[in-house]
Amino acid sequence: MADEDEDLSHLRTMNLDPAVDEDGDEQALDYGEAFAKMANSDNATLHLPKRGEKDFESHSTDLQMSKLDASRLAMHNVLSWQRTHTQKNHVPAMYDPTTNMAFVNKPKTSMFLTMGRSRGGKEWLLPEEALFLIERGSVDCRWPIKGEENGGKMLEGAPMSLQGAYAAFLGYEAGVGGKLTMEMYTVYSGLKRSGYVVFRHGSWDNARADIQPLTPKSQAQADRKEGYWTSFWAELWRRIAQPSYTISPESLAHGPLIRPGLYRSYADIFRAMSLIPSHERTTPPTFTLPPNPNNPFRIHFDVWKTSGSQRFRKSNPPPPDFRVCVINARETDVPTAAQLSDLLATVPDDGPKENAAIMNKLKHGQRNVLLAVVDNGIPSYIRVADVEFSREKVYERPATRGGKGGGRGGRGRGRGRR
Amino acid sequence: MAAQTATATANGSTSKVKDAGSNITPKKPRQRRPNYNEIHAKPLPFQVYPLPAFIPHNPISLVRIAISLLSQSIWRPSSQPAAYKAYFSTETQSIHVTDPKAIRALWEQGFWGAGSLSRSEPQWLAQEKRKRGVEAITTAEEVTRKRREERRQFKLERAKAQREAIEQQLRDEGKLDAETNLEELVESGSVTESPRGTFYPSDGGVPLSDVAASSSGSLMDQVEDKLVEATPALQEEIHNQEHLQLTFEEAFFLSYVLGVLDLHKALPVAPTLSNLEPDNSFMMKYVVFHHFRSLGWVVRPGIKFACDYLLYLRGPAFTHAEFAIMIVPAYSDPYWSATSARAETCKKKAQRNWWWLHRLNRVQTQVHKTLLLVYVEIPPPWDDCATESGSLNVGNVLKRYRVREFVWRRWSPNRNRD
Repeated sequence: MADEDEDLSHLRTMNLDPAVDEDGDEQALDYGEAFAKMANSDNATLHLPKRGEKDFESHSTDLQMSKLDASRLAMHNVLSWQRTHTQKNHVPAMYDPTTNMAFVNKPKTSMFLTMGRSRGGKEWLLPEEALFLIERGSVDCRWPIKGEENGGKMLEGAPMSLQGAYAAFLGYEAGVGGKLTMEMYTVYSGLKRSGYVVFRHGSWDNARADIQPLTPKSQAQADRKEGYWTSFWAELWRRIAQPSYTISPESLAHGPLIRPGLYRSYADIFRAMSLIPSHERTTPPTFTLPPNPNNPFRIHFDVWKTSGSQRFRKSNPPPPDFRVCVINARETDVPTAAQLSDLLATVPDDGPKENAAIMNKLKHGQRNVLLAVVDNGIPSYIRVADVEFSREKVYERPATRGGKGGGRGGRGRGRGRR
Repeated sequence: MAAQTATATANGSTSKVKDAGSNITPKKPRQRRPNYNEIHAKPLPFQVYPLPAFIPHNPISLVRIAISLLSQSIWRPSSQPAAYKAYFSTETQSIHVTDPKAIRALWEQGFWGAGSLSRSEPQWLAQEKRKRGVEAITTAEEVTRKRREERRQFKLERAKAQREAIEQQLRDEGKLDAETNLEELVESGSVTESPRGTFYPSDGGVPLSDVAASSSGSLMDQVEDKLVEATPALQEEIHNQEHLQLTFEEAFFLSYVLGVLDLHKALPVAPTLSNLEPDNSFMMKYVVFHHFRSLGWVVRPGIKFACDYLLYLRGPAFTHAEFAIMIVPAYSDPYWSATSARAETCKKKAQRNWWWLHRLNRVQTQVHKTLLLVYVEIPPPWDDCATESGSLNVGNVLKRYRVREFVWRRWSPNRNRD
């Protein structure tokens, strides 16, 4: 019932008078220029251009036609841009059939700051990393020549085509964690291109990952002790002001839970009516399902943002910002409670800040995981968070008197929905 | 925002005067919002008697506490109101409350039920009175209608401005004479009209697509005018034709937990739990309803948003709903996987595919709600819950369910990088 653009205030920000319209034109030209720039600059200074206003219909003005032509031309220029590899940046790699990995002798580009593992003086690339680099054209991978393995001259091997690379690296079961599927590679390359640092989580070899324990409560909170007399008076006051109401078995069986009588506060009533047990989150999580190597709900990738305060270092990575589980939408359903519970047991506690607003706390949740649901190559990311509603008791919030008046703040004048 | 300032100043009479004085413009003064904080001060249809505050440096406060403790122990006030009468209607499959006092109390103290002729708050009478000019109050429905009209007007104006800009451009390019306008060009075929095109007839400024709507609107007005003329001035009291409808869960909660509802006409089926399956949809919905109500949330049916429930922080009068709940059954109990046939049926019942999830999530993001999947652990059938009298122990049955909440949100790689 509510269109995206139904809100008036939001509509008003769009320009109405033709004077402002010129601004839009300028932006549109910007786009074209940026394309043109893209075509003849090297990729160090590239950034995505801003898009201008969108014309929804043709109104046969020359202005529109010329703008369209300019944009088309710019796009064609970009597409026809000849990509070259300089001798300096040429990185040869060699395929290793026993491990289904590729290795590089001299990592030259900055790509290797966030990829690969160095072992034995070589930089080893996991299947997804090798495939990604080959696809980008950053690495020239060669098939090894039979007989003389690891001969110093890499360039003597037969060049590996992109098709060959896909065939070799995807779905090969025997390699080091070589269970890379097309879905996983789609997610990996998509996140890499979006500018994240992505590494494989664990080794993928075990039936499942380890349980992550709860974060221990801070000592200061647990050890807060009051003086004897203070606690005595506090206890006395609590008994007078907030008597605890026990529910008799009779009223539990047939109701009403809240016996008629005198109640001091609504919080007492709410506390008394609490009946449905919620998931226990104070004890360490446990697995509910038996270990199963084919369980699709496992963490596949650890993802880091690159713009964080700390620089990413391959040798000593900080705790990842996101954990991604890749799912084939056609073969897997929405996880059941047990599957989700087991998956979330393998991610560490990441609770909200203690002083955050109640809604932010609830939306953030205690543990979270990213599900990348891939349907034939199209990934869709969903963040699933385990939220403890029973910890945020709404009735214990201080009453908001006056202040905002009639309330209904939040998102301006409602949109006819409540 | 204007709405907020209006309500904020509603308390102070001085600012009220100032407002009225400064408003020289002939614009109609904005309707004052009722003070919802006062109307909906009670979160439950209960009266509580808090003790007077204890102030350490004021000994009189102790005396006040003693007096109120003493007087309340002699004459013990009851927090519970006399039970409201309600009856079950087989035709509408809902619980009706017809007593106006009960309707007001149930709506104002906890937002129970919905008016049968209104959006949610029973406001048919107020709307009717306003229609007949007896009272001048605006209901929420009218506000929405007005806003929609404004929005339509605004869109028309915007389209017109764009149209004019294009015409100007065409004139500048010499494709259009000073006198001719676009329509003639359309007819002569030199301009094409797209499906989105909003061409105006030459006489007025109304787009063609809107002519039909506006003429029918005027027709409706005429009919309404005729009706008004036909009916004699109705000054006698308008009979309220509206009643409050409670859902089954609300009615059960009000009578089983709070004991404030007196169901008159008994349900057609004697309430025995023995013929209820544990994964009965009422039981699942009630368990979730009870869980969130007992935490202090206002829980309202979410059929309009394609979900099971909506969660409001204080109630629909104050804020928009923040969470949309969808209930998913979970069969983790070993009983449900004991036999393969049982496991198969349970798997089918708990199965949801990714298209279902994305559909749901799309709707919820569009209406700015956070999707909450609530997994309800279904207990094995209750054979041992019967009391001596043969009927079942409701409380013990409810305690066997377990709920777990997960927040699901779409995650975009492009928006979480920094």
